[in-house]
Amino acid sequence: MPLDTSTYDLALLRVDGRRWNELRRLHGQIRTQAAADGSSYLEMGNTKVMCVIAGPSEDAGRRRAGMGVSASGSTAPGGSAAADVVVSIVVGGFSSVDRKRRARGDKRIQELQATIAKALASNLHVHLYPRSTISISLHVLSQDGSLLAALINAATLALVDAGVPMTDYLVACTAGSTSTHSAGDEGADPLVDLNTQEEQELPFLTLATLGATDKVAVLVCETRVQVSRLEGMMASAADACKGVRKFLDQVVREKGHKMVTEGAIEKGASMAMDIDV
Amino acid sequence: MQGRSLSEVASNRFVSKAELNVNFGGMRTDQCGPLTAATAILDTLNSKLPKNFNSSTVIETSTMTSLKRSVNTDPLSSNLSSKVYVRSTKSGKVQKIVREVYLRQDIPCSSRLCSNCLASAPRSAAGVVSPFVLSDRPAGTKAYPQGHYLVPDTNALLNAMDLFEQGSAFFDVIILQTVLEELRNRSLPLYNRLIGLTKSQEKRFYVFFNEFRLETYVNREQDESINDRNDRAVRRAVKWYNDHLGQTKSKSIPVTVMLSDDRGNLEKAKQENVPGIRLRDYVSGLKDAERLLDMIAESQERVTSKEKKTEFFYPEYFSLSKMMTGVKSGMLHQGMFNVSPYNYLEGSIKVPAFPKPLIILGRDNINRSVDGDVVVVEVLPQDQWKAPSTKIIEEEAITKNENADNDEGAVDVVTEKERRALQEEVKKTQGQTTEGRPQPTAKVVGVIKRNWRQYVGHVDPSSVSQTARQGRKQESVFLIPMDKKIPKIRIRTRQAGELLGNRILVTIDSWDRESRHPVGHFVRSLGELETKAAETEALLLEYDVQYRPFPKTVLDCLPKEGHDWKVPASTDDPGWKDREDLRGLLICSIDPVGCQDIDDALHAKPLPNGNYEVGVHIADVSHFVKPANAMDMEASIRGTTVYLVDKRIDMLPMLLGTDLCSLKPYVERYAFSVLWELSPSADIVDVRFTKSVIKSREAFSYEQAQLRIDDASQQDDLTNGMRTLLMLSKKLKQKRMDAGALSLSSPEVKVQMESETSDPIDVKTKELLDTNSLVEEFMLLANISVARKIYEVFPQTAILRRHGAPPKTNFDELANQLKVKRGLELRFDSSKALADSLDACVAEGEPFFNTLVRIMATRCMMSAEYFCAGTQSFPEFRHYGLASEIYTHFTSPIRRYADLVAHRQLAAAIGYEAMHPAVRARGRLEAVCKNINVRHRNAQLAGRASVAYYVGQSLKGRVAEEDAFVMRIFSNGFVVLVPRFGIEGLIRLRDLAEPEPESVFDAEEYVLRLSGSYETSVELFQKVRVRIRDVKDEATGKRGAKMELVRAV
Repeated sequence: MPLDTSTYDLALLRVDGRRWNELRRLHGQIRTQAAADGSSYLEMGNTKVMCVIAGPSEDAGRRRAGMGVSASGSTAPGGSAAADVVVSIVVGGFSSVDRKRRARGDKRIQELQATIAKALASNLHVHLYPRSTISISLHVLSQDGSLLAALINAATLALVDAGVPMTDYLVACTAGSTSTHSAGDEGADPLVDLNTQEEQELPFLTLATLGATDKVAVLVCETRVQVSRLEGMMASAADACKGVRKFLDQVVREKGHKMVTEGAIEKGASMAMDIDV
Repeated sequence: MQGRSLSEVASNRFVSKAELNVNFGGMRTDQCGPLTAATAILDTLNSKLPKNFNSSTVIETSTMTSLKRSVNTDPLSSNLSSKVYVRSTKSGKVQKIVREVYLRQDIPCSSRLCSNCLASAPRSAAGVVSPFVLSDRPAGTKAYPQGHYLVPDTNALLNAMDLFEQGSAFFDVIILQTVLEELRNRSLPLYNRLIGLTKSQEKRFYVFFNEFRLETYVNREQDESINDRNDRAVRRAVKWYNDHLGQTKSKSIPVTVMLSDDRGNLEKAKQENVPGIRLRDYVSGLKDAERLLDMIAESQERVTSKEKKTEFFYPEYFSLSKMMTGVKSGMLHQGMFNVSPYNYLEGSIKVPAFPKPLIILGRDNINRSVDGDVVVVEVLPQDQWKAPSTKIIEEEAITKNENADNDEGAVDVVTEKERRALQEEVKKTQGQTTEGRPQPTAKVVGVIKRNWRQYVGHVDPSSVSQTARQGRKQESVFLIPMDKKIPKIRIRTRQAGELLGNRILVTIDSWDRESRHPVGHFVRSLGELETKAAETEALLLEYDVQYRPFPKTVLDCLPKEGHDWKVPASTDDPGWKDREDLRGLLICSIDPVGCQDIDDALHAKPLPNGNYEVGVHIADVSHFVKPANAMDMEASIRGTTVYLVDKRIDMLPMLLGTDLCSLKPYVERYAFSVLWELSPSADIVDVRFTKSVIKSREAFSYEQAQLRIDDASQQDDLTNGMRTLLMLSKKLKQKRMDAGALSLSSPEVKVQMESETSDPIDVKTKELLDTNSLVEEFMLLANISVARKIYEVFPQTAILRRHGAPPKTNFDELANQLKVKRGLELRFDSSKALADSLDACVAEGEPFFNTLVRIMATRCMMSAEYFCAGTQSFPEFRHYGLASEIYTHFTSPIRRYADLVAHRQLAAAIGYEAMHPAVRARGRLEAVCKNINVRHRNAQLAGRASVAYYVGQSLKGRVAEEDAFVMRIFSNGFVVLVPRFGIEGLIRLRDLAEPEPESVFDAEEYVLRLSGSYETSVELFQKVRVRIRDVKDEATGKRGAKMELVRAV
C-alpha cells in the first residue's frame, strides 16, 4: 500500500508525485469515429472517457424515454424552439477496480447526465437548431477520479468536432483540499485534478468554467468542506480549468493543422484560425 | 535505466513532437525505444500502458488570482510512471490497482549545504518554501569523522524505533519514501511514531520522496522480490545523496550512510560502493553505546516473515459431539474461562475434576476464548505443566505496535514479544517448590457458550492512521476495552477520527481462526473520555446496569394518587385487610445520612414477663408491586438498585422507592413486620410475621442515633427502646461470633463531594459505629427468621441465600504466606477456626495488618448466591460467612428484587394472600435467582468502580503520599493497597528507575530484591510509602491513579 494523502505536508508532494497545482497527464484525440457527427477520446491520468455525438438532427417524433437526460433552452408545446441536449452515460463494468454492473437507472449516473446536459445546453447555441436534438453519448472506459470533469471536457471536444456552435470551450476540473473538513487546518493547500485516492480521502469539488474566463458553469461539491477553504479550492480549480482549456484548444488546433496539411480541408481565407501550432 | 548516467536521462527527456505524435497516434501497443529511457515502470504488469508523455502536456496551472503566488517548477521535470499492485480483499477477491507516478527532479535533498535544491525548492500554495532540515554540519562518529546523514532501512526502524527517538543520538536522518511505505504496511503505530519524529525540529528527520524523484526511482526487475527491489531503491537513494552532495562546494561533505541489518543488502552496498553499516555496529560507535545497544531488539536479522505466512492463527475447535463425548468420558473438562487480571496471556479454569484451577497459558492455548466464556479444555502432558505466572504482562505494553489493518495474514499467532514474555516466566519458575510448583495446564479445544456482551472502551490512538484522524476512509482500529481481561477488539470504522478520545461501546462479532484479535463493530459513542456523563454511562454499561428511565407501562402500574397516596383512614378499606395496626409503637429508622429509600425500621419494648418485644418493620413493597405486571418485570430484570457515588439507579420508580414505600418518619406507611419475643439474653422465645401499618417516629442517621443513645440525659421511651436494641444486638453479635461468623473486610471508602459542583474533594474511610452493627444484627435476625418460615412452608420454592464454604485449596497460598512471613497460622477447616485464626493475625503497632489479612481472606472466599430451596440439599443452604444454617434476604425490598420475592412468599406463608403462580413456579424462580445473582454482583462492582473513579478524580491534579501495604509480588512488580483511599495499585519495576532495576524474586520467601539502578527489597505484607498521582496515559487515554514507591518502611 502506498502512502496516503496525509503525507502531503512532508514534502508538498501528492500521492502520485504531483505538486498541488499540477494537472495529471492529459491526452486527447478528436474525430476518433469517422462515422459519428463528432467524437473524441480523452484521458486525464487514468480516467479515460470517450464521447460520440449524434446531431444536431431533427426530431423524429417523440424521443424514446429513458434514453438519457435532456435539457433544452426553452421547451414550447408542440415542438421546442431550441435543440434538446440529450446526454447518456455508459460506465463500463471494467472501468473501476471492482467489476460491477451499474443499473440503468443509477441515480448517480442520472445526476451526472443532468449536470452535463444542463451545462452544455446553456453553452451551446441551441437556438440555432429548433425542433432538433443533440445526442451526446459518453462512455467511461476507466475511472481514476475527476470523472465528471473528464466527461465535460470530452463532450466539449466532441461538440467542437461536431461543429455545434458554442460560446466557448466548456472546461472542467476538480479541486480538493489537502486537509479534511474536521482537521480545521486553515492553511491547507488546495489541490487540483484529484485522482481516486484523493477523492476518497479529501473534500473536493468539480468546477467547470466557460473557457479561460472565471464564469462558472458547473459547481458540484458533495463532500463536507470548511467554507473558508472553498475560495482557495474554487480559485485553483478555475486556474486548472484554464490549463485544461489550453490543452483542449491545442488538441483541436493540432487536429486542424493535420487535416489541413493532409489536404482534408482547404486552407481557405475564411479560416482565421492560426494553424501554426 | 540503472546503468545510464544522469546526463543521458536528461538528454533523453527531450522528446520531439513528431515522435510523440506517432506514438499517440498509433496503437500505442508497446514502448518505443528512446521513450523508455525516460520512463520508469515499476511493474512489468503494465507494459501496455503509455510509457511516456510529453513534458509539454503537463500543464501547470498558473497562479490563482486570489492567492497571489507562483510556482516556478520546471515543466520539463516531470515524468510519468505507474505503479501497479495487487490487493486481495476480505472476500478473497483480488484487485489490481493502478496508480500513476509522476517522476520529477525538483524534490530537494533538504541539506543546508545544497544551494541548487534550495533554488528549485517547491512552494506550498501559500508560497512558502519548507525550510531545509538536514544540518550543514552533522555530527561525526569515529567511522565518519566528516559528519554523516543516516538512511535507515525498514528493518532498522522496525527493530529499533526507540533508538531513533533518543535525544542523545540519531540526528540528521533521511527517511526514504520506500522505507516509510514499507513501515506503514508493517506497523501503523511505528509509522505514526516516525511521522511524529519528522515533525520534531531538533531531531532533524527529513522524508525524502525517492520514489518520485527521477534519479532515484527504481524499476522492479524480472523475478526480483519486492524486498530486494526496495533494498535497491534504498541503495540508489543513498548513492544519489552522496553524488548529489559531492557536487556542492562545501569543504567537508558529510557521508550519507545506509543503516541496515540485512546482511545481503549491506554486501551489495559494499559492491556498489554505497556506504552502509549494520545498526549494531553503528550504535557501538556512539558515545552512549552500552545503553543504546540494549534498545535493539534481539532478532534484527531480517526474517523472511512474509513468505512463511500461516493461514490460520489458532487451532481449530473440536466438533460439539467430540467435546461432549470427551467431557463425558473425563478426557476433556468443561468450565468457565477466567483471565488473570495481571497477565492477559494467562487464564484459569475451574473444573470439578481438579481441586485447583487449571492454568491456560499463552495465546495458542487460550485459543480465542474471552473471559467468561464456557469452554472445554484438554489437560496438557505433564512436561508442559507450569507454575502460575509471577510476572505482570499487560497487553497494551506488549502489543502496542500491532497494526489493526494487517491483523489478518500477519506472521504468527504468538508474537515474538509475547513468546519471550512467557519464556522468561518459565525459566524463573524452575526449581521452586511451594508456590512455584508446576500446576496442571490445559488448552482450550472448544467453546460451548460465548459470554460476549457489549464492551466499553476507547480507540487505541496509535492504531489510527493519520488520514483516518481526519478523513472518512474506512479502516481497522483497535479498541482497548475498559476491562483489562478482554482482549483488544478490532473494529472497522469510517469515523476513527471522531471516535478518538471518546468512550465507545462495541460488540464482538466473531473471532475467526485467521484473526489474531476478535472482530467487532462500533455500537455508539458515549461521549468524551473523562467526562462525568460518559464515564458513568460507561460504567453502567460495562456492568450491564439497566439505567434507562422507566417505560410508561411501568409508570402506569403506580398508584393513581401519586405522592398524595396515603394509608386509608378507614380501617374498613381493603388495604387494611389483615393488617395489624402498629401505629402506636415507638418505631424509628436508622440509616446512612441522606438515605431516602428507607426500607427498614425498628422498635423494642419491654414486656411484663421481663422479655422484650422487638420488631423489624420492612417497607411493604409487595403491596404496590403486584406479581407479573410491567413494574414487576422491570424490577426483576433490574434485580437491584445500583448505588454509584453520585447517582442511584433505582430498581423501582422513584415514587415508590423514596416516598410511598419508604418508611419515612411522621407518616403512616404499610409495612411487613417481624415481631419477636426475645429473652434478655437475646434468645428467640417467639416470632411472628404480620402485615402492618406503622408510623415511624424518627429517621435517624447512624451518627444521630449513636449520639442519642450515648446522651444519658435522653430518657424518653424511644431512646430507651434504642438502648434495648443496642444491648440485644451486642448479644446477638456475640452469639454469631461464637458460632463462627466471619468478620470480613473489604476496603471501603466514601467520597466527599462538593455540594454544588459535585466534584469529589476528599476521600474518607467509612467509620463503623455501634448503631451500624445494631441495625445489621436485627436485619440478619429478621432474614434468618423469614428464611426458616418460608422454607418451612415452601421447601421447594423458597428463595434463599447461601454462601458456600470455600474450597480448602483457596486458602493454601494465604496460609503459606502468613506462615512464611509472619509465622502465623491460618486455620480454615471451619469458619469458626478461620474466624479465630483471623483474629490472631495481628502485627505489633500495625492495626491495619489485620484488616489486610481479612481483605485477602475475603478474596479467597466464594461469593454468596440466591437460590431456590429445591435446587440444593439442606446442608448446602449454609451461609458460611454468617455461620447460619439458613438465610435469605428480606429486609431491603425497595432495592433488591430477591427481598420482594421473599415478601410474597412470606405473605403466602402466613396466609395473607394466595401465592401468585409466578412466585410459585420453580423454573421461573431459578431464572430470577440466576439473574439477580449476576445483577447483584455487577451492582457491587459498578459501585466499587464508581468509587475508584471518584477517588481518582479527587486525586486529579494533586500528589498524595500515603502508607500502603504490599499485597502481592510479581517478579517484575508488586501490588500495593492504600488503606486511605481503598485502592490498589500496581508498581512496576520498570517505573522505579531507568533502566529497569535488576530483580531477584524469591517466590518462597515472597521477597523481591532489587539491585542495580534501584536498591531495595520488597516483601509481602510490608508497609511502604507510596506517592499517588493521577496520571493520564497519553498512549491509551486512560486515566488512573499511578503509584510510585517512595521508600520501603
